Amino acid sequence: MESMNIEAGQRRKGLRAELILLAVFAVICLTVPALAAQDCRFCHDEPLYRVDFNKSIHANNGCTSCHVGITNIEKHRDGKEKPAPVDCGSCHQEIAKEYRNNFHYIQEDFRCSDCHRNIHAIKQDKNKNVKLAIIEKCTECHGNSDYTASGHGEAVLKGNQDAASCADCHGLHNTRVFHTSLEQYPAEAREFYTQKCKRCHADSAMMKRNNLSDKMVAYYESTYHGKVQELGYPAPVAGCGDCHTKHNILPKEDPRSSIYPGNLEKNCGRCHTGFHTRFLSYQAHPDYKDRAKYPSLYITFLFMSALLVGTLAFFWVHTILWWRKVYWENDRMEREGIVPHSAVATGEGLQQVERFSAKYRIMHALLVISFFTLVLTGFPLKYAGTEWAATLTRLWGGAHMAGLFHRGAAFLLIVGMAYVSFESLRFLFPRGEGKKGWLSRLLGPESLFPNLKDLQDFKAMIRWFFNKGEPPKFDRWTYWEKFDFLAVFWGMFAIGGSGILLWKPEWSSYLVPGWVLNIAALVHSEEALLAALFIFTIHFFNTHFIPNKFPMDRLIFTGTYRLEELKEQRPLEYERLVAEGRLESMKREHPSIPLKLISATFGLGSLLLGLFLTVTILWSILFG
Amino acid sequence: MPTAMILLVALAACGKPLEPAPLWKVIDASTLRAMMASDKGLPVYNTMSELECLDHRIPGTRCLACEDVENNPSVLPADKDRDIVFYCESAGCYRSCRAADAAIKAGYKQVYILQDGIPAWKQAGYAMETIERIPRGSIQSVRAQSLKQMLTERKDILLVDVRSEKSYKEGHIKGALNIPLYRFSSRYAEIPLDRTVVLVDDRGFRTFLAGSYLEMKGYRVMRLFGGMQGWQEMKAEK
Repeated sequence: MESMNIEAGQRRKGLRAELILLAVFAVICLTVPALAAQDCRFCHDEPLYRVDFNKSIHANNGCTSCHVGITNIEKHRDGKEKPAPVDCGSCHQEIAKEYRNNFHYIQEDFRCSDCHRNIHAIKQDKNKNVKLAIIEKCTECHGNSDYTASGHGEAVLKGNQDAASCADCHGLHNTRVFHTSLEQYPAEAREFYTQKCKRCHADSAMMKRNNLSDKMVAYYESTYHGKVQELGYPAPVAGCGDCHTKHNILPKEDPRSSIYPGNLEKNCGRCHTGFHTRFLSYQAHPDYKDRAKYPSLYITFLFMSALLVGTLAFFWVHTILWWRKVYWENDRMEREGIVPHSAVATGEGLQQVERFSAKYRIMHALLVISFFTLVLTGFPLKYAGTEWAATLTRLWGGAHMAGLFHRGAAFLLIVGMAYVSFESLRFLFPRGEGKKGWLSRLLGPESLFPNLKDLQDFKAMIRWFFNKGEPPKFDRWTYWEKFDFLAVFWGMFAIGGSGILLWKPEWSSYLVPGWVLNIAALVHSEEALLAALFIFTIHFFNTHFIPNKFPMDRLIFTGTYRLEELKEQRPLEYERLVAEGRLESMKREHPSIPLKLISATFGLGSLLLGLFLTVTILWSILFG
Repeated sequence: MPTAMILLVALAACGKPLEPAPLWKVIDASTLRAMMASDKGLPVYNTMSELECLDHRIPGTRCLACEDVENNPSVLPADKDRDIVFYCESAGCYRSCRAADAAIKAGYKQVYILQDGIPAWKQAGYAMETIERIPRGSIQSVRAQSLKQMLTERKDILLVDVRSEKSYKEGHIKGALNIPLYRFSSRYAEIPLDRTVVLVDDRGFRTFLAGSYLEMKGYRVMRLFGGMQGWQEMKAEK
């Protein structure tokens, strides 16, 4: 019994002791964590934990805030219970989320304490040079002498807080994985780092503070490199790092710099091969408006702008006046019940006569296809920053594919142009007649070359617009048709010539220096804008949208129109055909239904597409 | 000319018979996780070296270096109809050492590979497991050009090539000692302590941990940036 009592008493005592221990544990767990820390420091008694930790930023956290999973101190002391790995993410959630994709974690399984090694003594220091600390930390492993010797590195070391530290480009906790084994390099990396450079170098306030130009990004974006990059479908074009290298970023006056004149051949040669050294004078950041630095570019810019504004302004005014006159005139006729002869033609007036032979109709259709392909592949590059440009490029299958289509269409146009040149020469110098009479043919009624009568017609037309006289009587070609033809012909030299130079710029360097390619790019782009706006507004209006032809004149596709229309629109040609006895040979069958259907579909489709593109282009110019 | 070259290459590629499709199946991280949850005893092998595997591996998986599978497939389960999974540290690990191929050759029928390896597992947000963690050191990397110069100027440099014996035999930097990673933890003591070690691997991605391991053991260590690939590129540039 005694023994039993004793046992019972001991058990009771033991139970009380257990209860006390439990209570102590509960107090330890529920009161300030410093108590737990005291327990830990009983064994972990190094100065780091006893002194430094109390001054650290985590001092208010107890040991078990981070080192969780210890349920029994004795077991832990005996090595039977180990704390769970520290999960910094339980407090630093945002960073933990970023860090999940960090290169150091993905590739080398770095944990927080691998960089934050002094985690128990870490202090908040408002005066700390964070950028310098980052550099010191990264260069512990990445002893990148390229960076530390670079403009950025040097500036940071001198205390410049704007200059890029490692983290500004590579990220801090979100250092990206651009690992070859993940097949994401270099296209994605180039895109990523170029955006990083742009972020600071387009910041006006920051660039001003550091005596640097804030326009370099915009100038780069005005070049082929920048535009393809901006499209977001990087065909292999130079991003910032391709020329300025990754770390060794120094001014061009420094012989160690990749853009030092003596290093340019090697630098450009990393992407471009087979060029003449003249190629190196190409400007990667040209400023069209800097007269002193780029006089030839400045003059070209002025000339092209004047040509664009002048041509469009002149013809838009002409078009508006014309439209006003026809609309008012139609209104008058409508009120008075007058119907044009051609609309109520009978008998011979209904006879179809040929204006365009099958050959020229096919050539025009090819021209339309080629022109639209060029516009649809070229303009996304011109307005690379817009959403529609990116969508359109995606539809083509990327910038590279769009480039191939552009060149294919250009080839078609060049062949067409060569053929028209040949035809023109044959018109002037027919076989068997030699040079005899070429001048009268050049200035004659069948020619597309302007003559004195065109000037008189133009004056008469203006008088007619203002109700001061009768409209002029035209022969085979009106003055605006001649301008349409010659504008394309002349424009081909500007746009085609510059396009050929840009086709393979390395080869062009054997003909012209690199800076001419800057001019070529400007001419190509501005002339394209002029051509597109001219065709989509002025040509479309003059030929199709004028009220008595609206919505389209199918003549260019069917090739024939009524004799009455010939008489009405081109009376002099009619009289000439009658006088020369050629009218009979011009008579044709009425166009077939399939031909009319195809003409209407192709024609209207082209007109609508052109109008849509005009709105898109104007929108980009005004709000892009 | 380049166009002609491309055409030639394209024509050559057309004429070449297609490689037979691999007999192993590729699975993604979530599939592997589901497989492991439904089959607790599923043999999933980390084919990196023991040193790397014990440092961090997918929880509940086993360490079995790829070379060990190639050398002796009998280490795999006896039941050849059993599902077995291999994974490593990168997307293309099975290009250099094909544990899965070796398993199939040995008659295993249900062989899987984790697509994109550990990076994919981590990016899916799944945890890792650590058995013996190597404290990360401050291991400087040296570029091929600088190493070449160092080798002529300094006598204390010792190159340690951690690639497989096979890769080492195919070609290595003159004077390099070969201690393959999969034998590293048992053979590292062959490296004399009084030398500055420069670690060399295939592409520069596997020397950091080995370097940290050596630093922990008291060595002075550097690593070749870009590995043998970097070295060969440097030589090709000349």
